[in-house]
Formats: sequence, structure tokens, C-alpha cells
Amino acid sequence: MNLEFSDEELAFRDTIRQWMKANVPDDLRRCTARGAMPGKEMQQRWERLLGEQGWLTVTWPEQYGGPGWTATQRYIFDLERASAGAPPTSPFGVAMVGPVLYTFGSPEQKDRWLPGIRSGEMLWCQGYSEPNAGSDLASLKTRAERHDDHYLVNGQKIWTTQAHWADMMFCLVRTDSTVKQQQGISFLLIDMKTPGIEVRPIYSIDGHHHLNEVYFTDVKVPVENLVGTEGMGWTIAKFLLTHERTTIAGVADTQNEINRLKAALATMAENYDKHQAARRVAALEIDLMALEYTNFRTVAATDEGKPFGPESSGLKIKGTELQQSVSQAMVELGELLSLPWDNEQPIGNEVFNRASRRYNFLRACTIYGGSNEIQKNVLAKMLLGL
Amino acid sequence: MDFKLSENTTMIADTARRYLKDNYSFDIYRSQLQEADHLHAARWQAMLELGWFGLPFPESCGGYGGNLVDVAAIVRETGAALCLDPFVDLVVSPGKLLEYINTSESLAILEDVIAGQARVACGLYDRYAGYQVTKPSLRLNGYRLSGQKHVVPDGGCAKRILVSAMAGDELLILALPVEQCQIERYRLLDGSRASSLMLDDLEITDAMILCRGEVARQALSGWFDYMCALDCARMYGAASQVFQHTLEYARTRKQFGKAIGSFQVIQHYLVDMFIDLQQLESMLLMVLVKAESETVSERARATSAAKAYYASQAVRIAQQGIQIHGGVGVTEELNIGHYFRLITHCSLSHGSRDYHVSRFIEADAAV
Repeated sequence: MNLEFSDEELAFRDTIRQWMKANVPDDLRRCTARGAMPGKEMQQRWERLLGEQGWLTVTWPEQYGGPGWTATQRYIFDLERASAGAPPTSPFGVAMVGPVLYTFGSPEQKDRWLPGIRSGEMLWCQGYSEPNAGSDLASLKTRAERHDDHYLVNGQKIWTTQAHWADMMFCLVRTDSTVKQQQGISFLLIDMKTPGIEVRPIYSIDGHHHLNEVYFTDVKVPVENLVGTEGMGWTIAKFLLTHERTTIAGVADTQNEINRLKAALATMAENYDKHQAARRVAALEIDLMALEYTNFRTVAATDEGKPFGPESSGLKIKGTELQQSVSQAMVELGELLSLPWDNEQPIGNEVFNRASRRYNFLRACTIYGGSNEIQKNVLAKMLLGL
Repeated sequence: MDFKLSENTTMIADTARRYLKDNYSFDIYRSQLQEADHLHAARWQAMLELGWFGLPFPESCGGYGGNLVDVAAIVRETGAALCLDPFVDLVVSPGKLLEYINTSESLAILEDVIAGQARVACGLYDRYAGYQVTKPSLRLNGYRLSGQKHVVPDGGCAKRILVSAMAGDELLILALPVEQCQIERYRLLDGSRASSLMLDDLEITDAMILCRGEVARQALSGWFDYMCALDCARMYGAASQVFQHTLEYARTRKQFGKAIGSFQVIQHYLVDMFIDLQQLESMLLMVLVKAESETVSERARATSAAKAYYASQAVRIAQQGIQIHGGVGVTEELNIGHYFRLITHCSLSHGSRDYHVSRFIEADAAV
């Protein structure tokens, strides 16, 4: 057993650290330090910068433009990214449709779509959930009917994060309603500028616009935008569930949040109960340590060539629970400082000024990407044989 | 990083598992619970011959130079088997303290421990000092020792007890012959045997004093971290059994005409136990490597994190194991309740959850 990074890995870490120090834009760093989330321009500017470096698609195989790093290097990269005050990159292109395309796509599809994802030029959104197909995703009803050289899409998607930013949507649609639910689903790529698409905002409880409803009325999608074959959509969706997700636990960002909280607690007023607060933070740090070493084990296993299985569901469950606990602690330990909602000038340490926004935002993390209850159903079946 | 156990460690674990499977059982455990002396001559001899007694100690002390990972491989199995043989209490625990004291007198006793000749235990806690092993309430005035030691895990048969005491401001470790002490014997939560020592002006000779001051403090500090890590190993062995037995029970126990494992609420409980067990294993691997670190604050930060984590999560697994078993889970006849007691015991020995959270905060500030 050896729980230290190798000399080469430490040297790699230093290189990344220096690059981050020199290249994370100041406004982005300020944004993270305030506990805010970047808007489209700031986020995309950062992703393009990573793209120029070839570091946006770090999980991709080298033949598709990945940097050829080990899982450990990718993990280190993520740690350095977070501690430099940069946000995680948007998952829809890089972590979701990208791997789908290089795994299931035709050569033409790869040539057409992968470069824009790799460079950060093209933004994507995910059209999965519908008003009546949430956890029961396979019951989705958005129809795509084949007409000569195109599909005609009708229906509605919901909870579509960044649909108002996106150039493209990857979408699960029903192409056959005569077969078993799962077998009638296909995976389509839809240009968001196509006539017949209407995007309506949904404001979430953090007060911001991340989510949308997307309506499709006779939207024409060329048949060459079908990935795989008709009826393969469910297989592709399941592939993404067990696709490598070594940073899904969010260890790097949670560590960063705990560090921000600790620094903020040191600035609290004289009569504040720092002892009590320190105990609460320590318990969270200990939980994080357990998650971190579990994450290290999956990273080490990945580097030994072991396939990344349903264990990633465990990382997702624990990681999101911890994100919520940390954000809740931040709000509660901030006491009065957590109450202002929209003042620009913090009344105390700025860490607490937007803590309640983040706390509200993170209520979603145990719901999105397959709710934690759905993850547990999957684990009960796949790992415990129940 | 590399989380794989060495071939050697795997072999040690396999041998221990096989030995206990062939020579120990829940029935043996239950009859041993009734006995006042937990040293079983034949098994003790077998453990000696398996090399367990020499494993934890460096070759320079006559041991086989195993590390904490190797020793924990055995302790995991004894936890899984509910084995009450006082291997940790009469070999590892006193042996590590004697090794860390590292004087010719202490190493001479260690030699006897490794040879299976000594019956030595550690009496380092008392109700006044709590878990603070370097602040004992036992007092040495001149050559007279007075005070008490509590919860001394002695297997019901130790002949000598290593105790800590204060002479003024100076910390001491002494080896006391049991026959000169007033002793009260009892059973502990995990079924092991222990005693309280009542000392009233016990006359001490120079030969009984093993070390003083900084040597004593450092020895106790290293010993404490080592023992914390072994607590985790023992809890892991027990918790993994709770999970396996509970999963099996959920598959076979029928209510409402179906296996209870077909109900979503039970499935989610079991998934929680599975995930927690994975995290407990990660913490165990972490602490086994870090608890022997040279840097005191790094060592303390790691062991206290692990102990605090186990005290909440391993205990939770044991509680859920009982809950899913229902009525039968709270009976003396079923092993689940005994694992629950073992895990609760270990969550309190060598520092409770609250104690270790405080110690973690202190160590974290020093790292």
C-alpha cells in the first residue's frame, strides 16, 4: 500500500498549479470566492481557455483529443482547478454527449461534433426529463416521427439546465410506441435554433435561472442526427450511468467549500462560539476524508484498468449528501450573516453573504443526474442482487 | 497510490480466517463468555505457532517485523469471528507499549511476550483521567503508589500490569505484579475480561519503573494511535459480518409472502450499509498506513478522524443490522446483537467519538 502521490505526480501537480495560478481569470476567481456562479460569457471564456490547452476534455481518449493522462492525473487536475478558484466545467458536452459520440457515433458525427466540444465553442444541454417522466425516465413521451430525410419532433422536456445557453441538445425521444418502453427510445441531436423550439425559463429557489422547459412543435431534425440506431437510446443513457465518473463525488469543490468556511469562521466576532463551530466543521472534514479515500481507491483501480462500475453511484450519493451538509453548515454557522439575500455589500464575511443561495441551489444535487433514491434502486439490483 | 494489500498481508489474513473458521465458532464464543479466564491453552499455542505473537514487533526485538497493516489483517478476522482470545490485550497492546518504551528492561519483558511466556496487560485508563493516557490519576509519592486503574483488559489472567502514574509532574510507566494489587474482576461490553486495580500505598521498587518523562509520553502517544487503528480493524471485521448476515437475512426472510429484501425501504437500508462499509474500508486503509507515521500531528489527525468516523458509521451499520433482523436481532441467541456490542465497545475504547473530534481539531491545527 502506498497512499502518497509519486514524484512524477507531484511534479505534474506543480505544473498544473502554476498554470492555474497564471491563467484562472481574476473575475472568475472573484466570482467563486463570493460563492456565486459564473454567467454564460464567463463560464464559456474559461472553458475555451481550457480547450486551447487541450484540458477541457481530460477524460477523453487520446485519439479524440484527450491529453492521455492517468486517472490520478485527472484527479489531481480537478483538485488544482478547484483550489485555484475555478468552477467545474459544464458536463453536458464534455462528460456526456462527447463520450456518447466517440463510443456510438458514426465517423461523420464524430468529425462534425467533437471538435466544438473539445474547444468549448459549442454548448450543449440534456433533453431527458419530461413533466411526467422524471425518475421514471423510460416513460418519456416526446415523439420523433420519421419523414424521409428527417424526424419530426413533438413534445416537451423539462429541468433542462442551460437550455437558454445551448447551441445543441442531446435528446431522448420516442421513435416507436409499439414495443417495450425502453426499446422504443432513440438518441437525437437537435440544433436549438431549429424553428418550432421554444425555451421557457424556470427560476429555482436560489433565485437564478439555470433550468428551463423546452417545447417542441413540429421540429425538423435531420436523420443524420440520430446517434446509433433507432431504439438504442436507452442503452446509450445507461452507458452514461456507468461511464467513468472519478470526479462525481465533488471532493475537490467540497474541500474548497470547507476551506472557505474555516477561513470565514476565523473572522467571526469575539462572542461567537468558535469551539462549537469547529466541532461541526471537523465532523464534515472527517466525512470528506472517508469520501476522499474512497474516491482515491476508485482512481487507483481505474489506473489499474479495472472498469468503473456501479460504485460510482455510491460516490454520487455520498458526495451530494456531503455537499448539502457543508452548505447547510455554512448557512447555519453564518447565523445572521446568512440572512441577507441580495445585498451587494456583505454585512460580515463575504463567504456567508451568498451561502443561503448556494444552500438553496444544492437542494437539487440529490435530485439531478438520477435522484439518490434511483441510484439506490440501481445499486440494490446491480450490486446486492435484490 | 496503491491500495492493494501485499501478498504477504493477504496470506496472513487468509491463514487467520481459516484458522478461526476451523477452530472458533459462535458456540465457542458463547461458552467463552461464561469463563473468567479467556486464555485457551490450545488456541494460544496455535496462535503462537502461527507467528501472530512476533508479527507486530521489529526483528531487532525478536519479532517478525510486520507492520500495522499485517497485524490489522488478523484483528479484522478476530473481529469478524467474535473471537475473545486476548491476543490484542495480552500480546499486541502491552507488546507495542514495551517496544515503544525501548529500554533493556522493557525489551526483556517483550521477549517473553513474543515467546508466549508472559501474561502482561495494559492498565492505562482510569475514571478520573478518562481517555487522557498521559494524565493518569495514579500517584507515586516517594516509593508509594496510590490510586486506581479501571477497565484494564487483562483476559482474566494477566500476571503483570503496565500502568501509567504521575510522580509530581513527571509521567512514569511501571510494571506491577498483579498479586500485590487489590483487584476486582468483571466482564466488558464486548465480552472480554477486565479488572479494576485499587492501589493504596503500594510499595514500589526501582525495578518496577520502566521509564519516565518524555520517553513515557512518546511511548503512550504511539501506543494510543496504534490501538485506535486496531479498534477500527476490529470494527471493520465485525461490521462487514453484520452486513453479510443482514443481506442474507433480507434475501431469505419472508413477510407478506415475499422476501423482505424485495421491499424498497429494506433495499435502501442495505445499500446505505454497503456504501458505508466501503467508506469504512477506505478509512481503515488510510489509518493503517498513517497511524505509524513519524509525524505526531499527522498520525493523530488520521487516527482520530478514523475513530470518530467508525464511532458513527460502524455503529450505524450495527444498529441497522439489528433493525432489519427485527425481533430476532435483539436476542442473545443471534450473533448480530453480539456484533453490535463489540462495535459499540470499540467505539468507546481508546477514545469516544466526541473525544476524537476534539483531538482531530487539535491535530488539524498543528498539521
